[in-house]
Amino acid sequence: MKPCDTPANRPDTAPRPSKTTVRSYQVGFGDCFLLSVHYDDNPDIGTRHILIDCGSTAMPKYKPVRSLRDVADNIRSVTGGKLHGVVATHRHKDHIGGFAGAAGDIIMALQPEVVVQPWTEDPTAQVDARAPVPASRKGLHAATLMNMQKVADCALQEVRSRKGAIASGVRDQIEFIGDDNLSNKDAVENLAAMANGNNHYVHYGMTSGLEEVLPGVTIHVLGPPSLEQSDQVLSQRSRDADEFWHFQAAAGRSAASQKRLFPKADICSTRQKGRLPIETRWFLPRLDRIRGEQLLQIVRSLDHAMNNTSLILLFEVGRRKFLFAGDAQIENWEYCLKTASDRQSVLRLLEDVDFYKVGHHGSLNATPKTLWNLFRKRNKTDSPERMSTVVSTMGGKHGSDSRGTEVPRRKLTDALKEETDYLTTQTLRGKDAFFHQQEFDAWV
Amino acid sequence: MEPEPRKSSTRRLTIVAQDPSVTINNRILTTQVEVPAEFLARGPCGSRVHVIDYDSSTGTLYEPFAYPVNPEGALEDPFSRPNKRTVMTNPGFHAQNVYAIVMRTLGRFEYALGRRVSWGIPGHQLKVAPHAFADANAFYSREDECLAFGYFPGEKDMVFTCLSHDVIAHETCHALIDGLRHHFMTPSSPDQAAFHEGFSDIVALLSVFALRDVVHALLDRPTGAEAGLAQSPEGLIKRSSVTMEALKHSVLLGLAEQMGQELSAVRGRALRQSALLSPAGSYMKDPAYMEPHRRGEILVAAMLNAFIRVLSERLRGLGSVSENYLNRGRVAEEAADCAAYLLTMSIRALDYVPPVHLDFRDFLSALLTADHEIRPDDSRYQYRDSLRQSFDRFGITPGAASYAGVPTPDGLWNRFDDTGFNYDCVHFEDLGRDRDEMFRFVWEHRERLALAPDAYTEIVSLRRCHRIAPDDGFPLRETVAECRQRVQLTAAELQPLYGIEKPPDMPASLQLTLHGGTTLIFDEFGRVKFSISNSILNRERQADHLRYLWKYGYFDKGASLRQRFSRIHLRRSMDLAKDIEEEW
Repeated sequence: MKPCDTPANRPDTAPRPSKTTVRSYQVGFGDCFLLSVHYDDNPDIGTRHILIDCGSTAMPKYKPVRSLRDVADNIRSVTGGKLHGVVATHRHKDHIGGFAGAAGDIIMALQPEVVVQPWTEDPTAQVDARAPVPASRKGLHAATLMNMQKVADCALQEVRSRKGAIASGVRDQIEFIGDDNLSNKDAVENLAAMANGNNHYVHYGMTSGLEEVLPGVTIHVLGPPSLEQSDQVLSQRSRDADEFWHFQAAAGRSAASQKRLFPKADICSTRQKGRLPIETRWFLPRLDRIRGEQLLQIVRSLDHAMNNTSLILLFEVGRRKFLFAGDAQIENWEYCLKTASDRQSVLRLLEDVDFYKVGHHGSLNATPKTLWNLFRKRNKTDSPERMSTVVSTMGGKHGSDSRGTEVPRRKLTDALKEETDYLTTQTLRGKDAFFHQQEFDAWV
Repeated sequence: MEPEPRKSSTRRLTIVAQDPSVTINNRILTTQVEVPAEFLARGPCGSRVHVIDYDSSTGTLYEPFAYPVNPEGALEDPFSRPNKRTVMTNPGFHAQNVYAIVMRTLGRFEYALGRRVSWGIPGHQLKVAPHAFADANAFYSREDECLAFGYFPGEKDMVFTCLSHDVIAHETCHALIDGLRHHFMTPSSPDQAAFHEGFSDIVALLSVFALRDVVHALLDRPTGAEAGLAQSPEGLIKRSSVTMEALKHSVLLGLAEQMGQELSAVRGRALRQSALLSPAGSYMKDPAYMEPHRRGEILVAAMLNAFIRVLSERLRGLGSVSENYLNRGRVAEEAADCAAYLLTMSIRALDYVPPVHLDFRDFLSALLTADHEIRPDDSRYQYRDSLRQSFDRFGITPGAASYAGVPTPDGLWNRFDDTGFNYDCVHFEDLGRDRDEMFRFVWEHRERLALAPDAYTEIVSLRRCHRIAPDDGFPLRETVAECRQRVQLTAAELQPLYGIEKPPDMPASLQLTLHGGTTLIFDEFGRVKFSISNSILNRERQADHLRYLWKYGYFDKGASLRQRFSRIHLRRSMDLAKDIEEEW
C-alpha cells in the first residue's frame, strides 16, 4: 500500500474535519449508510455527505411500511439536497437496489460528484459472457460475474416453472438469494451516469477518488484485490472456477428453457396419462428434492462469490477510523490480512478502528477472526474508547439455525454485544425510527 | 417377458471407453465390457442397478429402455460400434452406458474381495439417473439410494456426465465404499474426509487404464507442443516413449488432459492436478491440502506414481520388435494388466482398514498387508515396494510402523498374537456367518482386543471372502468382522474417564460421542490373524479427532448426508477452500 496522506503528516493548512456522523438506515435485509463529515472550522466546506450503499431485498413488514423511496426521501432531507459521494460496494440488489426506480431518481437528483465501485464493475471489463474464452483475464472475470447472474436468473426461472416439484421452504430461499443476485441493470446504469462520468473503479491499494470531496480525510481501499493481486493466492484452480460458472450458466439456460433434452425420444406413456409408473413413485419426488437443494447450493455459492467483489474502505477522519466492509467475506479479506506485501501497515491501521460496519449482515464468515483479533478497542466494560459496531440485517432470511449458518450469526452478535457498543438496525421501529445516528469527534 | 436362456454367465455391452472427447479418426472411442448376464427388465433394471431416466430440471420421464431379444431369446447389445449420433442423442445408449459401467465397477469389487458386495444403501438396487438435472455435477446420495448424473451444454455438444467412464466409476465407488465402511462418511479427520474422494478417483482412473483399447490409443499420443510430431509406425511404439518420465508425461498427463476438457467443470481437473503433483513430504501438513478433494489428490498422486514405476519396470523387460521399437499391443496389455492388478490390490485393502477414523497411513498398511496375504512373494514386479516408496515420497508412512507398538518390517500390520485365546467354545462354522456368535467371541476377548469395556459394542458386518492366490492358484479363505464401539459422554468426562485431552475452548458440558472399533481378520480355521484397531482407548488419536472436529465446527453444524457429495464436488469445481478457523 502506497504511503498515505495521513492526518499525522498533513500540513497544518489542510482543512481539518471536526466531527463524523454515521447514520445506519433501517432497510430490512440490505445496507444503507450515510457518512457525514463535518468541517466546523471551515464553513465554506460545511458538511460532506457520502452514501454507502442503498438497497434491500426485504424491507421490514411492520408499520409504517416503508419503501426505499421513503429512505431516499429521508436522505434528501438530512443532506439538504446534496450528496457529495456515493459508494456502491458490490452489485447485489440489497446494496444497490435503491439506485434504481423512484429511490434512484431521488438519489440521482442529489447530484453526487463522485461514485466509487469495485474494479469488477468497470464497464471496460464487461464482455460477452457467452464467448468461450474472453480475451483478457479481466474480461474472463467480468464474464464470470455475468455468468453468475445468469445462473441466478435461470435458477429462478427453473423453480418457478417446477413449482410443484420443489418444496416451498427451499423455493423461498432460492427466490430470496436468487433475486438478490439478478442483474440490477437500471441501478448499474444510474451509478454510471449520476456523477457525470466521475466514476472510480478501485482495488486494494488504489486511491479511492473520494479524497476530492472529503478534504483532510484519508481513505484506504483494502479490498477487493485486483486479479493480479489475487493471483498471488490463487492458482490454476481459480481459472477452473471461471470455467465452472461458464458451463453452469449454459446448464442454467438449458434448464430455464424447459426444453426436453431428447425431443425425439419417447416419453413415459404412463406419465403422459398423469400418473407415475409404480416403480418410479418412490424415487422421482426424491430426485425433485435433490434438484431443489442443489439449486439452493448453487445460488448460495454464487452469492458468496459475488460478495467477495465487495469494496472494503477504511476512512481516517482525524484520529477516528471507520471501517465499511460491504459484504466482503474471508476470501476477499485474505489478501489484505495475509498476503499483501505491505500487510503489516494494514494490520496496524486496523488495530484502532473506532467504527465497524459489520460485514455481510452479520454472517458467520464476513468478520474474519484475524480481523476481530486485531481490534484493540474491544472492551468488555463500557468505556469512552470502546469501538462501535453496527449490523444492518433482518433475521430469518438467510441461512439456518440448525446448520449454524443463520444471519446474523448468534455467536458473532454475542461477541459484538459483549465487547463493543453494538447496534442493530433490527431495533429500529416506529414512524421516526429511520436510522441509528452516531457521532464521533474527530480529535478526541 | 420370459427370462432368457443362460448360455454364459456374462454378456458384452458397448460403452464409451472414456468420454466422447476421446476420439480416433473422428469416431468416439468405444469398447465392449463384460457384465453379468442377468435378466434385465425395462430401465434397464437388473438385480443391483435400476436405471430411471428422469430429468428433474424439466420434469421429463423418458420411456425406460427395453432390450431387444434375438430369436434364441437372448438379450442383444443393440449398440455395437455406435456412431457419434447414437452416442450423443440416444438415451437408450446412455442407459446402457451407465448400467454397464456401474455393473463393471461392482464386478471389479466383487472379483477383488471374493464375495458379493453391498451398496451403502438399505436396498439392493441402486437407482441411477443418467440425465438427473441440467447441472455440471454428478454424485452419490445414500439417503436417496441413487447416483445422479447431470448434463450441460459444452462448447460444441451437450456434455453428458453419464457418458464419462471415470465419472461413473468414481460415483459408483462412493456407493461401494459406503457399503463396506459405512462410518467413513462420518466426519473424523482430514484424511477420512479425503479418502472417499481420493480412493474413488484411484478406482476410476485405474478402471480406465485397465481398458486396453484406451491405453492402446493414447499411449504416446503427442500432446501440447509435441502435437505436430510424427507418431510411431503402425503397431509399434518407441522404446523412448515408455521410460518412466515419458510414461508419466503421456499416460498420466496425456490422459489427464484428454479426460479433463469440458468435464473439468465437473471434476475441476482433479486428475490433472494429481498427475502434476511432484513428490514432497510437506503436503500432508500443508493447510492448503486440508480440503477433502485437494487432500485426496495426494493419495491419487502417490498411487499413480507407483503405477508408473511398476509399469516402466515391466516394460523394460519387454523385447524389442525392431531397433528402438516395442510392440504397441503388448505395451498396452502390460499397462492394462498393471492397472488391473493395482486396482484389485486397492479394493482388497478395504477389508484391512479399521472401521472408523481412517487415515492414509492405515490405508497404506492395509494395501500392503492384504496383498501380502494373497501373494507373499513381491519380487517379480515389486508392487508393494513401489507403493511404499511412492507413498513415502508424498509423506505417507505405513500406519503399522507409527502407532501399533513395534514397527513392522515392510509396513505390514502386525500379525495378531492370539496366545491364550480361548477357542474351546467357539463354533467355527457359525463364527463366519452369525453376528451373535462373533459378538460372543469378541466379548470374551474384549480386553486383548483393546476394546473399551464399558462402550456400546456391536458387530456391524461379518463377511466371508474366498480369493484365489495369483501365484499358486490356491484359495485364500478369510472372514472379516467389523466391530464398532461408541461412548456418549460430556467433554468434562474425557480426561477422568479416558485420559483424553479436551480441546482447550470446548465447553465442559458439551455432549460428545466417541467412536472406536476394530476390524478382525480370521483365517480359514477361525483364528484371529489381524486385529486392526482404532480404539476408543487410544487417547492420542481420539484427542486428534476431537481437536479436528471441534476446530472445523462439526459439533454445532448439522449437515445433510444427501448433499454431502454434491457439496464436495461443487466446492471442488468452484475452488472454495473454506477457512473455517476464520468463521463464527
